[in-house]
Amino acid sequence: MLLMFVLSSLFLIALAVGQEPISEPLKSALLWVVIMFSAAIGLGRSFIAEQERGTVLLLQLNVRGSQVLAGKLIFNFILLTAVDLVGLGMFSFLLDLQIEHLSLMLVVLTLGSIGLAGATTLLSAIIARASNKGPLLPVLLFPMLIPLLLSVVRAASEALEGGMGWSGVQTELATITAFGGVVLTASFLLFEYVWTE
Amino acid sequence: MVNVKRYTVVRNLVFGWLTVILLAGFLLNFPKINILEHTARNLYFHVPMWFTMMAAAFVSGYHSWKVLQTGDPLRDIRALQAARVGTFFGILGITTGIIWSRFTWYVGTDVWWNFDPRQIMVSIQLLIYGGYFVLRSALDEPGKRAKISAVFNLFAMTALPFLLYVIPRQMESLHPGAEGNPAFSQITHPVMRLVFYPAIIGFVGLFWVLYTQRVRVAWLKYRVTQDSEM
Amino acid sequence: MTKSIVALFQNASQVAVTDSAATGTVSTAYDSLWTGADIPTQAPSALEQVMLSDEKIFVVLAVVLIIWIGVILLILRTDRHLTRVERSVAENIPDADDGL
Repeated sequence: MLLMFVLSSLFLIALAVGQEPISEPLKSALLWVVIMFSAAIGLGRSFIAEQERGTVLLLQLNVRGSQVLAGKLIFNFILLTAVDLVGLGMFSFLLDLQIEHLSLMLVVLTLGSIGLAGATTLLSAIIARASNKGPLLPVLLFPMLIPLLLSVVRAASEALEGGMGWSGVQTELATITAFGGVVLTASFLLFEYVWTE
Repeated sequence: MVNVKRYTVVRNLVFGWLTVILLAGFLLNFPKINILEHTARNLYFHVPMWFTMMAAAFVSGYHSWKVLQTGDPLRDIRALQAARVGTFFGILGITTGIIWSRFTWYVGTDVWWNFDPRQIMVSIQLLIYGGYFVLRSALDEPGKRAKISAVFNLFAMTALPFLLYVIPRQMESLHPGAEGNPAFSQITHPVMRLVFYPAIIGFVGLFWVLYTQRVRVAWLKYRVTQDSEM
Repeated sequence: MTKSIVALFQNASQVAVTDSAATGTVSTAYDSLWTGADIPTQAPSALEQVMLSDEKIFVVLAVVLIIWIGVILLILRTDRHLTRVERSVAENIPDADDGL
């Protein structure tokens, strides 16, 4: 379902852009916007589904909170990696993407997905506790993601354009990594309170 | 509980202090700079809004942390009210900033909104607090509401240092200290700094007064109706 | 009326007309009407003419007024909450009526 969302939104973008050539920063921005919307839509249900099936109590009794979080994080990260790859593949197919530094692009996508998965997983645990869920996850998620978005868009557009390659995006890579690390640490520190409440 | 005696003393001090700041801000003279002219005086009124909002964010985060540790409803009330008054100062800061820049650097261009890093950071902080208030309204059981919203408050705060680091690198700014701009101490006359630092203290004090006032009302409301929202 | 208020400010602060202040006075954009049309700055609007007069002191006035009005609004909101609490106190604790 999530992959179909990526496909249809990419197709929408490709048609909306039409035949006009668009610049590399804009391509990178569109790619990341699609990935982040997919995360907000697809990963938001990770804990809600658990509640609807009534398996929360079972997990709470048998498994430690940090293990639950780790499992959800790994699953969400794998899901996001799939979204990244499909998104990147379809993007280059539909929008004629020339990737100058493929390795840099993959590293940026992976590191960005770690931060994205970390932020989304904890927030989806939070909204699973709310009664009126609606569009709550994007409201909570997007403001937090802005620093990550700015860095990954820049780094990804550098990977598309070539330019200075690795040396040109050192600060961006450092920021993305630090963001992932801080968000993951905060997730593990705070998850216990959401889980046991 | 709120210490009412201390509140009264601090309130009177803050009101007197801010009156002096207001007088000093308008009466003390300093050499005029091109373009800025009298608007340089806005340094005493606009910039402390930003400091006050940051102070409010820290107060709110501190009490959210205490909520997680103790589950005390008064801590929850304090975290919420600090966020409310912080939002208020954020709105004041962004509005006064827009007025200042519009009639100083954007004369004749009809530019009201520009993507200045500070403007973006305040907007993000306001969005985060907007999310915080929305989340609270979506949680119905009070104990759960206190803890879950405290987790969100602390979690969202982890993004703040990145905002301070990332955004100023990518955009031009009208604010001192940004890349290519002179440092704060280079463009301010000693007289201005004499008023500026006390002004920050004064406005943070004003935050404390308004915040404590609301905490008192909210705590009273909680004791009567068992409802901590306000 | 407004002129006199500003004059009061200026007299009180003994505005020193330094060189920079003299060159810093706002030149209207009317010159550009003859020199060329593609200059981005427009003729100052009525709002700008007010705000830029008297060495832009009105910009400071606007900023201080916004803060003041904001503080008033916040206190009024707090006050409204207080009224509601007082009402529910009267409902929940019947004897407390005369105490308030």
